[in-house]
Amino acid sequence: MRARVSSVLLVLVALLLVALVPRPSRAFGEEGAFNPRILLTGTARWEGARTTGPARWSEELTRRTSAPARLTPTTVRADAPALLAEPFAIWGGEDDVPALTEREVLGIRRFLALGGVLFVDDFAPESAAFGKAARRELARVLPDGAPIPIGTENVLFRSFYLLRRAVGRVEGEPKLEAILRGGVPQVIFAKHDVLGALARAANGTHPFVVVPNGEPQREQAARLAVNVAMFVLCSNYKDDQVHAPFLMRRRAAEPSP
Amino acid sequence: MTTSLAPSGDLAPSFQLLAALLTVLGIVLLAIELRRSRGSRIAAFATGSLASIGLLFAVLRPVAIQSKGSLVGPRVVVLADASRSLDLPGPAGKTRRQEAARALGELQKHGADVRLYGLAFGKGAPTPLTAALADGAPEAAQSGAEGRLGQALLAARPMPRSDLAGAIESVARAADERPAAIVVLSDGRLDRPGEAQAGEAIRAALGTLTVPVHAVAVATEAPRDASVRAVRAAGAAVAHQPLTLRIEIGCAGGLDCDEIPVSLRELRESGEPTLLASGKASASSGSATLELEVTLDRAGARILEVSIDAPDGDAVPDNDTRYMTIDVARDRVRVLHVAGRPTYDVRALRMWLKADASVDVVAFFILRTPTDDVVAPSEELALIPFPVDELFSEHLPSFDAVVLQDFNAAPYGLAKHLRSLARYVDKGGGLIMVGGPDAFVPGNYAGTPLAEVLPVELDRGPDAQGADVASFVPRTTEAGRAAPVLGPLRDLIGEEWPEMPGANVVGDARPGATVLLEHPTRRTPKGGPMPILALGEHGSGRTIALAIDGSHRLLFSAFAANAAGRAHGAFWDAMLGWLMRDPRFEPAVVDLADGCIAGENTTLTLRPLPGQKGDAKITIRKLGTGEEARVLSARLDGKGEPLSLDAGKLQPGGYSATVEIVPNEAGVAPSDGSASAQRGPTTRRDFACERGGDEWADTRPDPERLAAIAAATGGKSVTVDQISSLPLPAATQIAAERRVSPLLPPWAWTLGAAMLVGVHWIVRRRGGLS
Repeated sequence: MRARVSSVLLVLVALLLVALVPRPSRAFGEEGAFNPRILLTGTARWEGARTTGPARWSEELTRRTSAPARLTPTTVRADAPALLAEPFAIWGGEDDVPALTEREVLGIRRFLALGGVLFVDDFAPESAAFGKAARRELARVLPDGAPIPIGTENVLFRSFYLLRRAVGRVEGEPKLEAILRGGVPQVIFAKHDVLGALARAANGTHPFVVVPNGEPQREQAARLAVNVAMFVLCSNYKDDQVHAPFLMRRRAAEPSP
Repeated sequence: MTTSLAPSGDLAPSFQLLAALLTVLGIVLLAIELRRSRGSRIAAFATGSLASIGLLFAVLRPVAIQSKGSLVGPRVVVLADASRSLDLPGPAGKTRRQEAARALGELQKHGADVRLYGLAFGKGAPTPLTAALADGAPEAAQSGAEGRLGQALLAARPMPRSDLAGAIESVARAADERPAAIVVLSDGRLDRPGEAQAGEAIRAALGTLTVPVHAVAVATEAPRDASVRAVRAAGAAVAHQPLTLRIEIGCAGGLDCDEIPVSLRELRESGEPTLLASGKASASSGSATLELEVTLDRAGARILEVSIDAPDGDAVPDNDTRYMTIDVARDRVRVLHVAGRPTYDVRALRMWLKADASVDVVAFFILRTPTDDVVAPSEELALIPFPVDELFSEHLPSFDAVVLQDFNAAPYGLAKHLRSLARYVDKGGGLIMVGGPDAFVPGNYAGTPLAEVLPVELDRGPDAQGADVASFVPRTTEAGRAAPVLGPLRDLIGEEWPEMPGANVVGDARPGATVLLEHPTRRTPKGGPMPILALGEHGSGRTIALAIDGSHRLLFSAFAANAAGRAHGAFWDAMLGWLMRDPRFEPAVVDLADGCIAGENTTLTLRPLPGQKGDAKITIRKLGTGEEARVLSARLDGKGEPLSLDAGKLQPGGYSATVEIVPNEAGVAPSDGSASAQRGPTTRRDFACERGGDEWADTRPDPERLAAIAAATGGKSVTVDQISSLPLPAATQIAAERRVSPLLPPWAWTLGAAMLVGVHWIVRRRGGLS
């Protein structure tokens, strides 16, 4: 009995000590941290092997750069006011999606009108069913915007790493597509399953095989994810004139593909 | 009493004339008749003529008119030059004003038969000279040789301009009695009319009033003087762009002006003026123009001092130094945006800065720290080194504002440049420190020279807390409610702010700073609410402390969506605008309509915004020393009407007038006793007081201009000693009583005429005429 009381006291003291330790000031600075939120529409749920992808995205960002990121990203519904809380969201899927409701169209439209960036990741580029459906629905959101291919000339490919092409779980097309606003991408379409490449199980294994180039390609996919995050956080910072001579020299030094 | 005769008391002049003509006709006909006849013709002609004249008088019946009245002199307007140039040396060791006063005395003597109406001209409509006496000239002084008008001129306040054309326009358009002549007393150094076509300009000013304008030159000889006559900018002054100043140096009175050193300096908030350029002018021919090129880095009102080393014998040293307040505009606002790490807050600010076409942004964000593992060789990275030394030493003066956003001074080499960054602010640069985990105290700024220029104090103790991570909603202070700088934001979101996830811990607002937002619960060491947004002035520059990193919630949040995200732009547009002294965000405007002349009373005009109620406190400090020269106060009633404030007599040099407006509600000390809550929004105006001013810039009298004015209007130009030769208009008789009496009764005229006709008839019969 005495041992039990001692244990309880020990736990209470420990809890008290934990309570007295001030919360790190990092919490204050995380207000503007990158948060790769998953956008859910209709009755969709966020489940499956790729659910670790967003956390890995944040982890790679904080490991490689000075940018803060939420290590436990959340999900957000397209018709929820929380969509307007932060300027980034990922809309991914494998299959065709049902038509967006009017509230969802309005929610995404307001998100984009405020300057949000939407990353559309096709988890099954082989069938491209989701990609086509997403384009169809986003055409309802932005009737005047049409996606165009963007390659290495776009700031997205040099926002942190100098990327020569876009890759994910699959190599896919070298370019991404994007709906531009004011000359900068606002809706980015990837046919590469980037979250699939980033996904990593708790034991450190990758649930998806990256084809055709294996781990080097996974690294390139991580770099693309970092670049997307840096683009979201810095906008077109790397388009500034002050960077131009450096980047031109480095691009010139790259071997031809 | 005067008596005069009139041909008739009742016949109209036309009938009188007819009668006279008939009489003459009768005499002529008589002469013709007598010429054709024989015999004595002389007697017949004489009696005939007398009979005709007798008949004429019988018809007219002449009268005597007795009248009682007086001689009234015509109205002559005397326009006496009351400008400051009249205080320059004149003839015989007297000032021109004294000579003008003597001239008025002489004029009063010479024009005893005319009604002299003395007006002082200078700026605006002329004012009666007697008003100067009413303003306090000693009564005893009115009996001098100068006469009443002369004494009034001596007592009149010197005016900053000499607008004769405007004064004559005013006289010509006045509704009262029109003058018969105008007499101008001046040295001829006039602002209006100009040197060219002065006569035509005065004729045009007279309009339909056709009277002679006589001129009395109160000075004809220039004193021995070298001066800075004019300083003109060739084009608009734009920050960071070369500007050529044309400096006109004058030399008169036989001084040796072969090589006159000229220097151009800028007055500073503290310390000696900074030499911008220098040169030498050769004005031996009477004048010289020197061009000096300067580049002014700071926008806003800048005070330049132009001075010469005058040669020996200079009689008027007061015009050797001139001050020029030059408004330096910005082509584009150059902003250096430095961020310690990329966040949504950085993103939002960058997007706004890039979206504003009037802002030229140079941005440096720390994207990688030394501990980050980029998993790539450097050639695969799009990163460039942060050129901290180059930026904060070589290029710093080229920026109008620096934004340090969540940036730690220690790891990236900024610490050693904080002193120069503080100096940059002191010299007029703008600085904004935006909060975050690496800003303010955690950013290693406490105890540094930069902390001294921030509007809030920073705790430099080893246990200083860097951030308060408790969420809160910033509270608008009384000053924030009144400050125009938050006006655009208020229009969009009112006074409510979105919730912030925490704040940097800062201390009390520094003296002179204005707190616009405060923490609702957290207190400073002195017990006041902790400032969240504070604005301050340091030296010639301005600084802003924003102790939160969540202003992006004004752009992107459910809260922001209510204003379509425009609140963020409105907030930062105002912040940068205030930093750059955009008049839209100043709580009031201060100006000096008449400029400032050292040793003379200076009047400041305060123009508050409509709706502003409270107390305005104006502190005038000397530039260079910071010495407090005057503290003025005024009560604002919310009508927004301009207020004139007497700043008294100031010494020569540059001054800053800082206006603080404390809203009514804030006039009551807050219960927490905090000083910061009582401070209102401030604005500032820099100005300079000159010894001589424009009126003393060119000391040469200009009698030729006066002669041209007189010649063009039919007047005469004379010196003071020749006043007696002025052709003043003659006096007019004005009758008060008139009595008409016949010289003879009508029957006497008729009888006389009948007798003369009878005599003529007898003479004709005897002479054989029918």
